[in-house]
Amino acid sequence: MTGPALRLTGVAVRFGQTPGLHGLDLSVAPGERVVLLGASGSGKTTLLRAIAGLAPVAAGEIEIGGREVTGLPAESRDAVYLHQTPLLFPHLSVFENVAFPLRIRRTQELRVHEAVTRLLGSVRLGEFADRRPHTLSGGQRHRVALARAMAASPRVLLLDEPLAGLDPALRDEVRVTLLSLQAEYRPALVIVTHDLDDAAILGDRVGVLLDGGLAQLDTPERLFHHPVSLAVARFLGIANIVPGSVTGDRFSSAVGCLAVPAGFTPGPAVAVFGADALQLTPDGPIIGSVRDCRYAVDRTVVRVEVGGLLLEVGAQADQVPARDSQVTLRLELGRVTLFPGGTDV
Amino acid sequence: MDPQPVGAAPSVIGERAARGVLLPVLAISAAAPLLLLLLQSVSRGWFYPALWPAAFSAEAWRALGERAGRITIALGTSLSLAIATGAIGVALGWPIGRALADLRGWPRHLGAAAAFLPVAVPPVALAAGLHLSMLRAGLGGTMAGVLLSHLVPAAGYASLYFLGVFTLFDRRIEDEARTLGAAPVSVLWRVTVPMLWRQVGEAFLLGFLVSWAQVALTLIIGGGRVRTLPLEVFAYLQAGQDSFAASGALLLVVPPLLAFGAIRLAVARAEAVPL
Repeated sequence: MTGPALRLTGVAVRFGQTPGLHGLDLSVAPGERVVLLGASGSGKTTLLRAIAGLAPVAAGEIEIGGREVTGLPAESRDAVYLHQTPLLFPHLSVFENVAFPLRIRRTQELRVHEAVTRLLGSVRLGEFADRRPHTLSGGQRHRVALARAMAASPRVLLLDEPLAGLDPALRDEVRVTLLSLQAEYRPALVIVTHDLDDAAILGDRVGVLLDGGLAQLDTPERLFHHPVSLAVARFLGIANIVPGSVTGDRFSSAVGCLAVPAGFTPGPAVAVFGADALQLTPDGPIIGSVRDCRYAVDRTVVRVEVGGLLLEVGAQADQVPARDSQVTLRLELGRVTLFPGGTDV
Repeated sequence: MDPQPVGAAPSVIGERAARGVLLPVLAISAAAPLLLLLLQSVSRGWFYPALWPAAFSAEAWRALGERAGRITIALGTSLSLAIATGAIGVALGWPIGRALADLRGWPRHLGAAAAFLPVAVPPVALAAGLHLSMLRAGLGGTMAGVLLSHLVPAAGYASLYFLGVFTLFDRRIEDEARTLGAAPVSVLWRVTVPMLWRQVGEAFLLGFLVSWAQVALTLIIGGGRVRTLPLEVFAYLQAGQDSFAASGALLLVVPPLLAFGAIRLAVARAEAVPL
């Protein structure tokens, strides 16, 4: 059995005058994709730079491929760090950019040629080998940067907001390239972003950096459906946060009564669930009044007032009820997470 | 609605007109002194207020040829000093400029002021100050002393130049090269220097020209024992041999132009060849 590609134990990093991140434990398996979510200024980039050896670690240990690398320079860590914008070497051709890590390692010319040709084929840039970076489009530059990173055969590939600032078509192009290269070359990926959609698509596991620590690390499904705290739920932008109270084995609120797990502390509590946990059904037990509707490319959300609370409800775009009409809703109980305390927790 | 007339905005027309006037003025102001020197070098008996030489002669050039040995030695000395000053100036200015670019606030301003000081001080004042130091160090009247004195302003210029370069240089590209496996020395030679090859060439040329044009520092520190081409020309001027001075001055113009051309060529070739 192989060990983790990356292991962080009690890692602390500082950024600027603020304490930064502390007590961070994380283990990433070979070939696994972990996405770390965090607000701007949460220390995501500093953490990646610390793993790469480009920023100091205040405490803790970093292991890459079972080898402790905390005190090693960046070039000896076996971890490639890619910035948000592709930073290609402008004085080198596309071929030489991709060949760079191999030339550094004094790889034989024949093997360099084979590896670079294969990589450029993988990113569909074979015919661009002789071009200079400034002649490429944004998407092509991203693809060259990814190919160059793979040429180094790193155990860990660290990506800092790789899709930020790209238009939707380019996002798809880079995302597809990233996933196909990762499937082919199998480095462990650690990606930091503040985009929830990117996290859900790219991550085998998604972590949330909050208040200087890793608040939750889970599969996208568990993270988005069952956040471990109200703070995580709020960070993830989970639509519905319903206050109520627990008495005995029941949680009572505007959306009705729910059974609570055994041992749940009686008193004020909060139910959290996404818009897709509520459905518009003709015979639902929750009665509300439609206030408005919000359309997006991939979903439609109807806002329904229930007992003075505005709830978000997932709907089909062609089945949106009229404004101010009475509707009935059904709540998928398995998608509800309860937290003790009030909404100001 | 009537179609609007299409034409350039008044500000664009103004810019074009200014360019049309200023560029020829610049070209003339650069070429005119050289043409006058050329005329002076082949003239005989051209005195104020005459607008044109009384007669033409190649005497100054012949005389220069007769003194070829002395001129060649002076030329060699000047070239050696200029090349060494340019190269060492780059070697000093690069790290100083980079370190200054890393600083923020008053330490950066202080460092920049320190680099600017030898540039701002008049050469004679600088020479007077350096003279004592060089004499104490036993370097008065030596090539090494003159080279060191030329390096003072040259390194200042190069430091200020590289301060600007590294303020704009995106260091993240070096970070990425490091994580791709390149040690700092490899990053320097395979990434940073090739990326900044043009700037290195320009900084070298700056140092070369600072040294090439030095009279005061060479004269005072060299004590007359280190004879450079500018000193020979200066001596002709002092002796009132205007035609000789003109032919020598024309000779002075050639090496910097060649150096400029060589640097441009080297940079162009370097940019065309993969690492």
